[in-house]
Amino acid sequence: MSDTAIELSGVSKRYRLRRGWQVTSLKDEVGRLTARFLGRAVQPREEFWALRDVSFSLTRGEVLGLIGMNGAGKSTLLKILSRVTVPTTGSFVTNGRLGSLIEIGAGFHPDLTGRENIFLNGSIMGMTRREVQRKFDQIVAFAEVERFIDTPIKYYSSGMQMRLGFAVAAHTDPEILLIDEILAVGDASFQAKCLNKLAELKDQDKTIILVSHNLTNITEHAKTVLWIDHGTIRMFGESDAVVDAYLEHVSADMSAEDSHHEARDSSGDRPISLLDVAMADESEQPQNRFDREDTVVIDLTYSASRPIPGVVFGVSVHDLHGYDLGGVVTDPDSIKVTAPVDHAVLRLTLSPLLFNKGAYTLDVYVLDPATRRFYDLRRRALRLLVDGHRAALRESTGYVFYPHRWEQSK
Amino acid sequence: MRETIVNLFQHWDLILSFALRDIKARYKQSALGVAWALLQPLSMMIVFTLVFSLFAKVPSDGIPYPVFAYSALIFWTFFSNAISGGTGAMVSNAPLIRKIYFPRETLLIAVLLAGLLDLGVASLVFVGLLFYYKISLSLAALWVIPLLLLQTVLTFGVISLTSAIHVNFRDIGHGLPLVVQLWMFATPVAYPISVIPSWLRPFYLLNPMAPIIDGYRRALILGAAPDLPSLGMSFAITVIVAGVAVSVFKRAERTFADVI
Repeated sequence: MSDTAIELSGVSKRYRLRRGWQVTSLKDEVGRLTARFLGRAVQPREEFWALRDVSFSLTRGEVLGLIGMNGAGKSTLLKILSRVTVPTTGSFVTNGRLGSLIEIGAGFHPDLTGRENIFLNGSIMGMTRREVQRKFDQIVAFAEVERFIDTPIKYYSSGMQMRLGFAVAAHTDPEILLIDEILAVGDASFQAKCLNKLAELKDQDKTIILVSHNLTNITEHAKTVLWIDHGTIRMFGESDAVVDAYLEHVSADMSAEDSHHEARDSSGDRPISLLDVAMADESEQPQNRFDREDTVVIDLTYSASRPIPGVVFGVSVHDLHGYDLGGVVTDPDSIKVTAPVDHAVLRLTLSPLLFNKGAYTLDVYVLDPATRRFYDLRRRALRLLVDGHRAALRESTGYVFYPHRWEQSK
Repeated sequence: MRETIVNLFQHWDLILSFALRDIKARYKQSALGVAWALLQPLSMMIVFTLVFSLFAKVPSDGIPYPVFAYSALIFWTFFSNAISGGTGAMVSNAPLIRKIYFPRETLLIAVLLAGLLDLGVASLVFVGLLFYYKISLSLAALWVIPLLLLQTVLTFGVISLTSAIHVNFRDIGHGLPLVVQLWMFATPVAYPISVIPSWLRPFYLLNPMAPIIDGYRRALILGAAPDLPSLGMSFAITVIVAGVAVSVFKRAERTFADVI
């Protein structure tokens, strides 16, 4: 048996863009065909290459991290590997049963019971009914749904459905496993279970492709990383090197891109607006790249047309996925806007910066604390990149760094 | 075609799971449950008996009209329900098709399987009718097996084509019920073949369902073999339709996830 688990050569995928929600109607299509038949020019449909000429191979037991911005082609690549769709050109081979933790529970039918759905979903994922029967008790125990196993799953909570979906998928016993941000599913104890399952699969020499926006997760689990950018391979290699290059690129990209200005106030009454948001280091030099535990200075410039009785300024941090990682807000009793002003600056100092290595985006907003109505909101107003000597230390997992100390008694 | 047959055996468990899902989901939270499988051909039979036999005096080759009609209606109901269910099978499973790979024709075979169960339920009434009219089955009744097989393959061919088209053009979902209804009147369901003028008959028998439906009636009620020349024609048409349809389906299947 060959040692190659996955091999792609020159894989490209083209999508034809369709406008609107409408599926092409027969009328359009007949029109196109007639035009072509009569030798008239047919307006070409807009095309979009989701992947272009992607080639790489993985050996058995390798764990590959897949990174790239939203829309880079990661999902298309997973779709091709899992055979949901075929490449437009190029070819690929996979050796061994392929399992996917991408669309867990996609085959569930709401009217069927948990038991019936386990069999249904198991067979959709390629198990025989006998195999499902054999693993049935394990699956039920893993999902922690023993009491509700004969209840239609439409009465399950979404967490229970998710657990059941993961449990079935994790028990398909694949040799190649595709995972998409699965570690963000369920409550803490279930996540721990998932991580253990992942470790178990790694031990069993399974080939794994892991997609995540959490770069710490990626470097933790994957030795090799593939970075996809606009459908092509930007870099493929040792995980730290690729992740570093990726962060470098993202930060350069960030400064070039304009922030998205979004006001939620449609009534036209905007007593206060954000004019500018800027990020700098301790010495007030504009900067968006910091090491962990550095000092970050953020200046919010605003104007107010009248005194505002209650106002809250806020900055929230998001990962590249858009998940809210929390943030800081002002106390309306101490930060006030008591008079009209054309140009005022509110300074936020984050010191020390307690984020782990990675790229983040910051939303900045002003709102009315009584109604929670946004006076002004700037999505992705700032991009924050955490990288450097301290950030490279492997002493903390996840997004947030906890200042800490370990002591061992003799 | 060969790939499809191989898939049929390799993915038997998946087909079974889909069929069970379709059956169970259909009758959950319904008070009459599986009795619906019986009500559809039964009510049609009653209406046909009133309209065609009592009012219009359509002949029925000497067979009591209710048995005459019902013997065709149960098989026709299987055909028309499988076509409407099969045509929409890809689109109604769109979330699954967009996300997970499995041989797509398993969904079609599951529709046929679930339809066969309904046919089984509906034929219980047929047995009752045979008793009531004191008609006894002869050995010729075994013809039902190859006839049903032929009908199933033909239906599979039709829905392979229509379901693949339905993914791209929803128009077919609107047009098909009409076609199936017209098709029924071009098939000896409500009347015997003997009423068709002889000059028209060669054309009439090009409809592959005509000799099949006529065949059931001969085998079950008259205790006779089907009309083999016209059945042979139906067989040839079925093989061609199924062959072409399956290859079209396998080609189209590759991009279902992109366009559905």
